[in-house]
Amino acid sequence: MLSLLIFLPLIAALLILVLPSRFQQHYKYITLGVSVIQFVLSLFIYFKFNSSTFAAGIDKESQYQLLEKLPWIRLNLGNIGKLEIDYFLGIDGLSMPFLILSALVTFVATLASWEIKTKLKAYFSLFLLLNTAVIGVFCALDFFLFYIFYELMLLPLYFLIGIWGGIRREYAAIKFFLYTLFGSVFMLLVIIGLYFSVINPATGNHTFNMILMMDPANYADGSIFSAIADKNLFGISARLLAFIVLFVAFAIKVPIVPLHTWLPDAHVEAPTPISIILAGLLLKVGGYGMIRVCYSIFPDSAMLSAWWIGLIGVISIIYGALNALAQTDLKRLIAYSSVSHMGFVLLGIASSTTEGVSGAMLQMISHGGLSAMLFFLVGMIYERVQDREIANFSGLAEIMPQFTAFVIVAFFASLGLPGFSAFMAEAFTLIGAFTSEQVNGLIPRWMSLVASIGILLSAAYFLWTLQRMFFGQPRLKGAADWFSKLSDVNAREKLALIPLVALALALGIFPSLLFDKMNASVLAFVQLISG
Amino acid sequence: MMNEYLPVISSSINDTISSLAYFQSEVTLAVGFLLVILSDLFLSKRFSQLSFGLTIGIVLLVMVQSFTFLNVENTSLFGGMLIMNHLSILFKILFCLVSLLFVLFIRYNRSLLLHEKGTSDLYAILLAVHLGMNLMAMSANLLMVFMALEMVSLGSYLMVGYISGDQKQSEASMKYALFGAVCSAIMLYGISLLYGYTGSLYLNDPSFISGLNNIPPMALGLALTMVLIGVAFKLAVVPLHFWAPDVYEGAPTPVTAFLSTAPKIAGFALLIKFIVLIKALNHTFLDIKLIVASIAIASMVLGNFAAIWQNNTKRMLAYSSIGHTGFMFMALFVAPGQGYNALIFYMFIYVIMNMAAFLIVDEIEEQTGKQNLEDYRGLGRQFSVLMVCFVFVLVSLTGLPPTVGFTAKFLVFSTALDAYNSSGSLIILVMIILAAISTLVSLFYYFKIPLNAYLKESISSDVRISITAKAYLSMFLAFLLLLLLVFPSLIQQFL
Repeated sequence: MLSLLIFLPLIAALLILVLPSRFQQHYKYITLGVSVIQFVLSLFIYFKFNSSTFAAGIDKESQYQLLEKLPWIRLNLGNIGKLEIDYFLGIDGLSMPFLILSALVTFVATLASWEIKTKLKAYFSLFLLLNTAVIGVFCALDFFLFYIFYELMLLPLYFLIGIWGGIRREYAAIKFFLYTLFGSVFMLLVIIGLYFSVINPATGNHTFNMILMMDPANYADGSIFSAIADKNLFGISARLLAFIVLFVAFAIKVPIVPLHTWLPDAHVEAPTPISIILAGLLLKVGGYGMIRVCYSIFPDSAMLSAWWIGLIGVISIIYGALNALAQTDLKRLIAYSSVSHMGFVLLGIASSTTEGVSGAMLQMISHGGLSAMLFFLVGMIYERVQDREIANFSGLAEIMPQFTAFVIVAFFASLGLPGFSAFMAEAFTLIGAFTSEQVNGLIPRWMSLVASIGILLSAAYFLWTLQRMFFGQPRLKGAADWFSKLSDVNAREKLALIPLVALALALGIFPSLLFDKMNASVLAFVQLISG
Repeated sequence: MMNEYLPVISSSINDTISSLAYFQSEVTLAVGFLLVILSDLFLSKRFSQLSFGLTIGIVLLVMVQSFTFLNVENTSLFGGMLIMNHLSILFKILFCLVSLLFVLFIRYNRSLLLHEKGTSDLYAILLAVHLGMNLMAMSANLLMVFMALEMVSLGSYLMVGYISGDQKQSEASMKYALFGAVCSAIMLYGISLLYGYTGSLYLNDPSFISGLNNIPPMALGLALTMVLIGVAFKLAVVPLHFWAPDVYEGAPTPVTAFLSTAPKIAGFALLIKFIVLIKALNHTFLDIKLIVASIAIASMVLGNFAAIWQNNTKRMLAYSSIGHTGFMFMALFVAPGQGYNALIFYMFIYVIMNMAAFLIVDEIEEQTGKQNLEDYRGLGRQFSVLMVCFVFVLVSLTGLPPTVGFTAKFLVFSTALDAYNSSGSLIILVMIILAAISTLVSLFYYFKIPLNAYLKESISSDVRISITAKAYLSMFLAFLLLLLLVFPSLIQQFL
């Protein structure tokens, strides 16, 4: 089932590659079909998902669902023993929501791909390859496999930004690539170190199984990452160092301040559908990686660093929001708002409380939908007039009333109006961060107070933008030419936007839709990390 | 006088005869060498492709013959001049792979084909060099080592200067021959010193080792360093790398592809013997580990950083191959005991990707005349399939998924981290971290190619592009790089 979900896009990509170019107008329908099938499959998984405490997953292999495990690479490395790499997939309550999100965001991004006019064959095959990689990351339970999917995301993205991007696309593409690779090369070293530290009790071999890595009992005596041996590297604990390396690798993806500088460039230069995927999915890979890998494998180091992680989260929230206030380009503004919103995820995870982690998960899903929507909306304007400077537009509400309605929904949802998903997510995160001081003493109270200023700031920049661009007298830089070009929302665009609005509303009014499915896993996770 | 040798004659004849059974593949190469020359002399008018066919057949035969001895035990041949074991067979198979690709490369390279000398002599030289490399992989005697090395070197000088059409090519071959001769001379001098100290030339002879243990450390260090200079020249590692970029740029592309793979691998085969020897010595002063490690580090760092500033594609690949050699040095350095699996696996992959890279560069040069990175602008549109393959090859050279280059790099890192884990030596850790950083750096220059090919628009008008056999070959190799990621056991089963 999971393999089908992962490799369906790959098969479609191969199909597109072999189809002659005269069918190139059909490529987008193939891609759309794939994402619809994925969406249906993931909904099916959602409804069939067992949310009892006996299927919580996290650190117990037997509790994962839809397991697939095949031996893959077995190389004899002399003294070291046999290399044991498996093709190992499975989901629990922390990865299942991302499958639905992936399918939905891919669907929206495909609809946004209608604007792509050149080199369609290459575009759609890379797009589908990216989709394979993203879903693979969320399903992989073998660290080696996880890493392969993780790296596989880079290549298509490099080309998607580099070929179909804006004016400074080369710079943005290589910057993005180098940033991420910087994190992941060192992550590879930690993975190998973990491999040599962990022994599969069933076979006696070293293993890449992430679940086995979560149990301190599986670490070999005196191995480098053994909690008992507590070895040092460069004068600090090896486990803490490994945690920091992994954290930095994922934090670059999230991104955190000060490792965020690739994000505005990548977003601004990327074509709309790729911005949607970037904001909607790739940032979530960073958050997911922290929960699944950093925290679950190195809970002790995570507890030690909680204060710093919380601080980074708060700084990201405030710094991102302040930057957003200063932007004149609408897309850049939204890119910075992503930095700000993803800060809540960090804060929630750092609090290590049930509320905080649930809030962080909900924030990721909610922001996935909302940022996809925001970028789609920006893309609509840009597609029509090839401009997105805030100052060049005024009074759009009169020209494009339906569009303005969608924008208002997206803006209000993003700034955390009650009734929308972001409110629930941010509220839970703040509750978690606030109670942390008395529950586990990890995060001081002032952090949640400062973070809530971030919500105020986000209200400021969203409302100010709304006022500048949409209200007041209609006045456009391009005068009459633009008036004719700025047509209102068409049917395809509605098809993309309505599911996103529905998601934001559904999770805002019935957050239990998500909480019920993942509560057992969140509890097990909090149990695991707080020992 | 004669009488005292009489009793040993029969036993040595018996030894020689029994050794011949193991020596099949080398005999094939020697006979093949003569056959190719003769056929070129007498039959080339009637059958123009005869020497090509013969060479392919011979290389394939050698490969089959090598495979039959795959799991051979340590066997001493010709009175200890040669030692054949599983490792040397693996090296021989690697050489066959390189030769095979090289022959095909020559066959479809236009500048060589159109040259008045023809390609037949090149095939003959190749077989001779191949023989030399096989001997290098098996030699257990210093004289044999020198002879084999010289055989490879002489052949390589000829190859580099084979067409020498312009000044650049003459300069390259001259440089190569001169530096090579000097390094060989130094090596020979080192060998004579070693012989003078010990009275033996057999590397695994107990009296050789005990003799070495008894001489003053400075003298031993000097002699060993001199011998290793000869090997290091073949490997083109820092600080003996200076010839490589000029020669690689000046030589015909197929020759460059060959020189940056086969002799390097043969050099490693020799180096393994010396490392084993040095490990057997009980000297503590000579921190050979530190030397090997610093060579590895210097090659990785210098090779990869210098590649950033190159504009000529072949020159860039030359520097990157210095970086790869450094990486292989690291693999050698951290190899546990007798196991070189990670290194051999890396070499197999390196052969495939390096050959593929040069094939594609050559194909582009022949069809469009473009040699520089910035000329590659817009080529993604012209050579659609070929450039996609090139991207995969480059990704593999960088060592990223979804290609087997990642698996190879990963295995080396695994062995290295394990070596660190069991020894705790800081130098290994430093080496690992620098290897990781140079991987990052390598991405930067390798990706200049797709950057230019896809992200920049073409400035020149479109040239008619035809898909040639060489393009198909490189596509096949690129496909192999993907296939081997999923089924690495295709190679692993032999290790």
